[in-house]
Amino acid sequence: MVFNEVMSLPILELRHVVKKYRVGKEVVTALDDVDLSVQAGEFVAILGTSGSGKTTLLNVAAGLEKPTRGDVIFRGTVLNKLKERQKVVFRRKQMGFIFQSYNLLPTMTAQENVALPLIFDGVPVRERLKRAVAVLTIMGLKERRMHKPMEMSGGQQQRVSIARALVHNPRIIFADELTGNLDSHTTNDIMRNLKETICGQGQTLIMVTHDHDVAKFADRIIFMVDGKIVSEERGGHKNE
Amino acid sequence: MKSFDLLTLANRNLWRRKGRTFLTVLGVIIGTTAIVVMLSLGIGLVESQKKQMEQWGSLNMIRVQQSYSFPGEPSDNPQRLLNDEAIEEIRAIEGVLALSPAYEVGGEAKLGRKMGYFSLIGIDPAMMDLLEFEVSHGRLLTGDDKFNVVAGSWVINNFMDPKEQPGRWDEPPPQGDPLELLNKRVSLTLMNQRQQKRVYSLNVVGILSDTSMEHAHSVFGPLPEIKKMRDFIQQGMQNDPMIPPGKAMEMSGSTADRVVEVPTQPGRSSGREKDQYSFALVRTEDVAFTRAISTDLRERGFNAYSMADNLAGIENAARQMQAVLGGIGAITLLVAAIGITNTMVMSIYERTREIAIMKVVGASFGDIRTLFLAESSLIGLMGGSIGIGLSYLLSYILNKYLGAAMAPGMGQDGVALQISMIPAWLVLFAVAFSIGIGLISGIYPANRAIKLDPITAMRNG
Ligand SMILES: Nc1ncnc2c1ncn2[C@@H]1O[C@H](COP(=O)(O)OP(=O)(O)O)[C@@H](O)[C@H]1O
Ligand SMILES: [Mg+2]
Repeated sequence: MVFNEVMSLPILELRHVVKKYRVGKEVVTALDDVDLSVQAGEFVAILGTSGSGKTTLLNVAAGLEKPTRGDVIFRGTVLNKLKERQKVVFRRKQMGFIFQSYNLLPTMTAQENVALPLIFDGVPVRERLKRAVAVLTIMGLKERRMHKPMEMSGGQQQRVSIARALVHNPRIIFADELTGNLDSHTTNDIMRNLKETICGQGQTLIMVTHDHDVAKFADRIIFMVDGKIVSEERGGHKNE
Repeated sequence: MKSFDLLTLANRNLWRRKGRTFLTVLGVIIGTTAIVVMLSLGIGLVESQKKQMEQWGSLNMIRVQQSYSFPGEPSDNPQRLLNDEAIEEIRAIEGVLALSPAYEVGGEAKLGRKMGYFSLIGIDPAMMDLLEFEVSHGRLLTGDDKFNVVAGSWVINNFMDPKEQPGRWDEPPPQGDPLELLNKRVSLTLMNQRQQKRVYSLNVVGILSDTSMEHAHSVFGPLPEIKKMRDFIQQGMQNDPMIPPGKAMEMSGSTADRVVEVPTQPGRSSGREKDQYSFALVRTEDVAFTRAISTDLRERGFNAYSMADNLAGIENAARQMQAVLGGIGAITLLVAAIGITNTMVMSIYERTREIAIMKVVGASFGDIRTLFLAESSLIGLMGGSIGIGLSYLLSYILNKYLGAAMAPGMGQDGVALQISMIPAWLVLFAVAFSIGIGLISGIYPANRAIKLDPITAMRNG
């Protein structure tokens, strides 16, 4: 499926993207003329200090926020020109999200949380649970599938959240500080696990982090300072 | 999103905050119960009044009386004569199910040694059944009957043995047994204007049941024979031709010791009167027709009376009462609606993050909206259903205790007076209404949930 993708054609492209926030009378420029091109199957890390605009970049790239200027092109479609109704279809079918604070629904079990995106896609309940358990198994949480988030460690919760991002087999995954709340041992485990799974499926991953060690898992590292991309580094592989 | 998943999710969300959901549902329960019980009281009032009135006369019956105009007396309405032409006119009115003209004669009657007064009404035997005549004993009249009659259940009380000592004045007269008349011969003496007498021997073949009081005091015979009796009575009036004596049934030569009053007689004027009936009984299809037709008849210049005429006043009073009671109920439900809205808005604040997550992982505006509307409708449905159950319970208690206390004599055949009635339409209305209230209460919260920006929600999380 995704293997057939022509590698030279970017899956995601940001062109002269500017994002400004108005805070009272002041205007904060969170993204300042960002150009970025991500190939299908690529694992890109965005590295920068707190407040450098990483989260904003991710949200704009995923179509969750509109850029003040510039375009975001996802597989040939200008995302920022779409209506919410159309963007939600992209998110539901082709995008996965992982957050620093897991963002699981506290009332649902692990497998229900993982199956949640499939509900909105109208997948029948049996099929939903089957797929949820399959992804949970990959993330090593098969035994914990009936647990609620509160009954799991941070690492386990983040694995559930990763499983939820992968359950509908998205083309691209956006991850924001996914290891921010984890210790280094768990971080390494999870990163290895995630990278393996994604590589196996040829999926694209854009990951935001302020941690150099985590960034080293990526194929390419992009450095951000004050809303600008200042440099990038290829193949700093830490994964073998 | 599939509707089953939607309902499951909505239901689960509701029961996460059991206490609060329960209180919200309680509001709807109280509102629904208030409306249903209040309306049921109004309905019960009208229905029990109807039942009460039906004991005095059917609501499907109209009595058209011959009106009397006296010479020199100015009348606003053109008075119509109740003759064959008029009968045909009435018969043609829409909603008239059956109709019989009637002659009424009266005279001295003898039953064995007992004497009494007989009011004898001639009607069409074929129409008796449709005109809601019912016998408790014996049978109704048929077309073959000539001097057979059926008597009302109270007629026996008109008879007294003159030789018997009358009871003390302060004692109620003993109630006669109507069966005393059944299959007995009664001789009826009629007298005309020329003081001629004629005695008829009548056979009582049936006793009317006492469900309707309007026929209780009269005796009914076949129209053609009673017409002959009336013709005899009218002999000697101005312009009246003599009836050939040979046609007379049975003549009595004895001296007139009492003057029989003839109630049908206006006492005066034109010869056209001999073509007139005393009155006519009209049976309509239902109460609604009764009222319309009796108004129509009055407009056409007839004297029409019906029990249903009184109904309008009672119904108006009941409607006003229902409006007040229903209004109180409606206010309660409005408060409940505000409660639902409040609960749902609170729930948005609590679930900001959750809504945001759902949006990010692919919930559309429609999904979020329907989820919230489903939750609020479920509150309405639960409250409405439980409210109806509670209403039935309250209605039962009201009828059992209050109904019995209010009218101890009213309960006929052991059935207590129903002061509260919940018809099926009220149940459907209440459920639909409470779901509707839930739905409407959910609109504002649902729109707020839609507008919620997932990014802001998650950044703050
Ligand atoms: N919704 C917002 N309103 C106002 N300012 C914002 C908003 N989101 C981000 N910012 C500002 O934009 C800049 C970049 O923020 P962010 O993208 O969250 O950085 P990072 O994720 O790298 O820490 C910061 O200065 C932040 O205060
Ligand atoms: Mg950030």
